[in-house]
Amino acid sequence: MSMKKSNISGWKDVFTFTLTQTLKNKAYRVSFLIMALIAVVSMPLIQYLTKGEEAGSDKLSPVEKVYIQNETSLQNLDFSSLKQDSTLKNVEFTNLTEDYDAVSKRIEESEKASVLVTIKEQSGAFMLEFSKASKGPVKDAGISALAEKMTESFHSLRLLTQGITKEQNELISAKVDTKTINLDAQGNPVETKDDTISFNEYWFIYGILFFLMMVTLMASTQVASSVVMEKSSRIVEYLLISVRPLALMVGKILAMLCAVLLQIISLMVLVFISNKVSAAMGSGSQAGIMNQYVPANIFQNLNIVNILLCLVLIALGMIFYAVLAGMAGATVSKIEELNEGMTLLTLTTLVGVYIGFGAANVLMGSGSNAFVTFAFLFPLSSPFLLPGAILVGKASLFIAAAAIILQMLLNVLLFNFVASIYETLILHNGNRIRLKDLFKLNKGGIKA
Amino acid sequence: MSLIVKNITKKYGDKVVVEDLSFSIEKPGVYALLGTNGAGKTTSLRIILGMLSKDKGEVLWKGNPLDTVNANVGYLAEERGLYPKYSLLDQLLYFAKLRNVPKKTAMSRIEYWSERLSVNEYLFPPKVKGKTVKANKADQLSKGNQQKLQLMAALISDPELIILDEPLSGLDPVNTELFKGIIREEIAKDKYLIMSSHQMPVIEEFCSDITILDKGKVVLSGNLNEVKKSYGRVNLFVKSDVEIASYIDSFGIEITNKTPGEYQLKVLGEEQAMAFLTKLIQDKIPIVKFELREPSLHEIFIEKVGDVHEEK
Repeated sequence: MSMKKSNISGWKDVFTFTLTQTLKNKAYRVSFLIMALIAVVSMPLIQYLTKGEEAGSDKLSPVEKVYIQNETSLQNLDFSSLKQDSTLKNVEFTNLTEDYDAVSKRIEESEKASVLVTIKEQSGAFMLEFSKASKGPVKDAGISALAEKMTESFHSLRLLTQGITKEQNELISAKVDTKTINLDAQGNPVETKDDTISFNEYWFIYGILFFLMMVTLMASTQVASSVVMEKSSRIVEYLLISVRPLALMVGKILAMLCAVLLQIISLMVLVFISNKVSAAMGSGSQAGIMNQYVPANIFQNLNIVNILLCLVLIALGMIFYAVLAGMAGATVSKIEELNEGMTLLTLTTLVGVYIGFGAANVLMGSGSNAFVTFAFLFPLSSPFLLPGAILVGKASLFIAAAAIILQMLLNVLLFNFVASIYETLILHNGNRIRLKDLFKLNKGGIKA
Repeated sequence: MSLIVKNITKKYGDKVVVEDLSFSIEKPGVYALLGTNGAGKTTSLRIILGMLSKDKGEVLWKGNPLDTVNANVGYLAEERGLYPKYSLLDQLLYFAKLRNVPKKTAMSRIEYWSERLSVNEYLFPPKVKGKTVKANKADQLSKGNQQKLQLMAALISDPELIILDEPLSGLDPVNTELFKGIIREEIAKDKYLIMSSHQMPVIEEFCSDITILDKGKVVLSGNLNEVKKSYGRVNLFVKSDVEIASYIDSFGIEITNKTPGEYQLKVLGEEQAMAFLTKLIQDKIPIVKFELREPSLHEIFIEKVGDVHEEK
């Protein structure tokens, strides 16, 4: 029976037991089921709910006839050129020649696919007023699509009615852009690349960052609660006669990490399936919901290397925060004191998350700069920020590799620090151990 | 093969919680650690198990420093600890795995102990046709049954050295007898046991050697019989149908306790007791009981630690 054990031998038994019990845990299963259900159902549901409502889609307009009543001083407004638009090719545009009320009544009662448009002029502004049947094939989305195109056409028509030629109109309507050119010492222009991110990319990075923060906090809290539960219920005393404290910590952290990564990967697979289902539900030319809302360039960056880099970064970040959580859990003796004990962990997480948010804002506003590079490399923020940035192609392989190395270094330093005090902490029973006491412990000033 | 505890000392700041505790168990049997609440018994046991660091001293098992991770040690803590929400069987198998007990052996031991301790219905709930049988969890058990599970966890590796901290506290008389029976069996199997308890009759029943701690200091240590002998037979119990207070006074004997009809006295020695008895017989005093004996462990314990606490 007797055999020599190293400081972390037995971690596999702790790992297996913790992982098995976590997977068996009702709360874990229920929360996973809810998330899985949301992941599977969300995209087909969005597809179903927005069916036929996509403004600017290439679907035929449900409107069959448009009566136009022009109450402005502008003459000869002819919208028939809109029939060249593939979505409006079946729409008949006609000027109102009958009584307004009679046509309105007819639209409401029988001519439900027709629309009455009144063009008004009020104190230097124009207004296009759309009237449709309260019930019928023409929905608000159909009116929005029609209104968008008629407004655009009206802009050109009102200039043409004033004698401005098509060419002049194009000149007047041309977009005006600005550009800043930096000059080098010789006065030659220096080529600068626009590396700002789009609004969609910003929200993508923001979403990933927020999701990772939630997952990291959940995993860390589970580790800390598990440590303090074993401490407060005295189970730790039984465990420590069989296994060393470090093995306990390593086994527990890796088990929690596995449980969380299992959730993330399963959810990713389910989201992928859900996206495929939503694509199948849409019309032929439509991709899934994800492709409509997620920046297109992330799919260009979605390769094995980038996925691995992201997973390694996420795992390293989680290990860092989980070790911190393990230490936080060991500094208190009762579950009620856990919130106080988690202060350092919460602050550290918030610092990392806010730096990440700040860098995402800077990326959208002015592109990459020293602060963004710092946020990419800083071990507290990189696990939250970098995965999103890698996927939108804003972080180079070099930056990702450097961030991983820095994160690994910090993890080793933190692990060595915690290893030197964990045995004392885990057996400590009494008032919460404060941060300054942890450093004293590390120097051997306090004993359990 | 033995356990040697040498001069272990533990301080928290300036406060000494265990001071120079030394004892040894040369041959299989039970060693008792006694003391009032807060005397340092549990702290001493935790130091012996290596859970707490010590400022001085050493603990040797078979000639080497005791390392519970590598030695086969069983421990029943005073404060019970089980995972409240995990399956009981899973927990026991986990504790067995951590002690390198193969699963098959662990299962057969769990089956044996669950039968012996009458907890098999919780560990192996009977199957009901058409119903899913849910595994029992610790928070569904009574305190006594949780204690039985803890004992199973302590004995699952068939340990050579067993440390029991207040093993009988909180048990009803039936389960106390059950636990005592198991302790007897372990003694019979030549195990080394260290036990702390407040129940003096239990200590007297099982332990040959004792240490009494008070505020971390050893106030008495040694073989229980020798300790008792060193006190001599000075406890005299006399019961009579008539009042004998005047006789007690005339001999100058100290009254330690008085109940209706019975006096508990402390005499100077056997000679004084014999002279007192002779006088009572001469005066034809009807005597119902006249018993001269060594002090009980309870009396020794009270004498050693009681005064100090009364002074407070």
